[in-house]
Amino acid sequence: MDVAIIDYYANHGTSFLHKAKALWKVIFTGLVIASIILTNEFYMLLGIYITLVTIAVWTRLPISRIITIAAYPAIFALIFAFAMWNGSWLKAGVIILKALTAALTMVLLIVTTPYPDVFNVLRPFLPRVVAEGLFVTYRSVFILLELTDELIKGLKVRGGLTHRKHIRNIRNFSSGIGLLLVKGFDYSEKFYGMMNVRGYGGRITTQGTKTSINRNDVLAIALGLLIFAITISTVIEKRFLEFGVYILACSAIALVISSIYQRFQN
Amino acid sequence: MSHLHIPDGVLPGWLVMAGWILTALILAFSIYRTRSTELKRKVPLIGIISALMIVCMTIPIVPIAYHINLSVIAGIILGPAVAFISIFIVDLIIAMFGHGGITVVGLNTVVVGAEAFIGFYLFQLFLAIIGRDSIMWSSGLAAVIALIISTSILVGVVYLSRIDPEIVIGIEGGHPTEVANEANIPSQLTKGINIKSFAKTILILLGIGWLLEGIITAFVIKYVSRVRPDLILPQRA
Repeated sequence: MDVAIIDYYANHGTSFLHKAKALWKVIFTGLVIASIILTNEFYMLLGIYITLVTIAVWTRLPISRIITIAAYPAIFALIFAFAMWNGSWLKAGVIILKALTAALTMVLLIVTTPYPDVFNVLRPFLPRVVAEGLFVTYRSVFILLELTDELIKGLKVRGGLTHRKHIRNIRNFSSGIGLLLVKGFDYSEKFYGMMNVRGYGGRITTQGTKTSINRNDVLAIALGLLIFAITISTVIEKRFLEFGVYILACSAIALVISSIYQRFQN
Repeated sequence: MSHLHIPDGVLPGWLVMAGWILTALILAFSIYRTRSTELKRKVPLIGIISALMIVCMTIPIVPIAYHINLSVIAGIILGPAVAFISIFIVDLIIAMFGHGGITVVGLNTVVVGAEAFIGFYLFQLFLAIIGRDSIMWSSGLAAVIALIISTSILVGVVYLSRIDPEIVIGIEGGHPTEVANEANIPSQLTKGINIKSFAKTILILLGIGWLLEGIITAFVIKYVSRVRPDLILPQRA
């Protein structure tokens, strides 16, 4: 899993999307997801996907890595597309593109925004225990990843994970998960104690969400609105779909120019 | 893994909304249920179990497109009410990785939450019937049965997505299917789904996964029961 890498990207990027505030990026994400839900047109979805790849290029993060992270749901979308197979490649393509585009939208949000900032935006809409659970889970994931790393190294060194001994491997791996669980539980007890010492009374205080707007926020919102406006116009007025090829061509040209520009910048 | 790895915009809006409403109701009930058991003390534990589920859920077993959930383990250790809160948190976070659509988080929480709920009560039942010495068999069996039921719920959800609510509630005027198609564009995508083919694909792929998750659950619970029996044996509902 790429949690650590995603966290690094989110905290060390310098692009306009990194500088934009979490609230406006969440709105951008909402607008793009709404567009993906509304359209069932292959070319529109491909256009949105290419536009998102272009935005990913603008973030100056390793583009192939981001696309790979966002490609994970394609495995499961393939199963769904297979089950719906009726001889139409376009329909199967729509299902797979919906999964890829929605995943890339979410990944763009999390590689440019630290998780706690995203949780802060969601906090007013969630019960307190869920909001706090999100923060603690986020923190615990990194601790568990470190413990998992140590555990796997330990298992390999002691011959706990060996080729062709599947049953033994499963038993050792499961015991490893059990060990993680017990260690994690002990850690959670200590963590609770530390939180109590620091004055925890059932509420984790955060800085709150900033709502002021700068030019990076405006750019993020404008991109979201542009994608949404084009999509909704093709949904309301089907005649606009005739321009689908041009939209696709424009987004492809923007991607090529952005890639060349970024390459020269680097 | 009885997760709905269905992209956003494929399932009809009414089904997605129903999932969110159901999740909100169960979440409210779960929080109400656990208020008395010092919920603030449970927050770090929820965090650890959720984090463990996230770490395991994001390791796909590629040839069969399966990943372990640990939801039955969460149910056994946290109890069904707190496990539901934990599962909602997990679903919300992994949706941010594009692991299933963000709009289907509600439905996913209901399906995976059912796994934890059924797993917990089956585990208690098997312990009572077979005896406390067979903790490994009780947890393994409970996990496999819970997974079979939750996968059936998953197939049921996909089947429901083919039904227009207008037909169900009997709206008059115009051909119901046409009305539904015009009003609810995303549902057009699921119209063509062959439920038999979908169920077959899912059951073949997940059958191996159920067994694997059952074995892992059994070994994990056996290990935890030896090292920290206080985590499992007391009534934690």
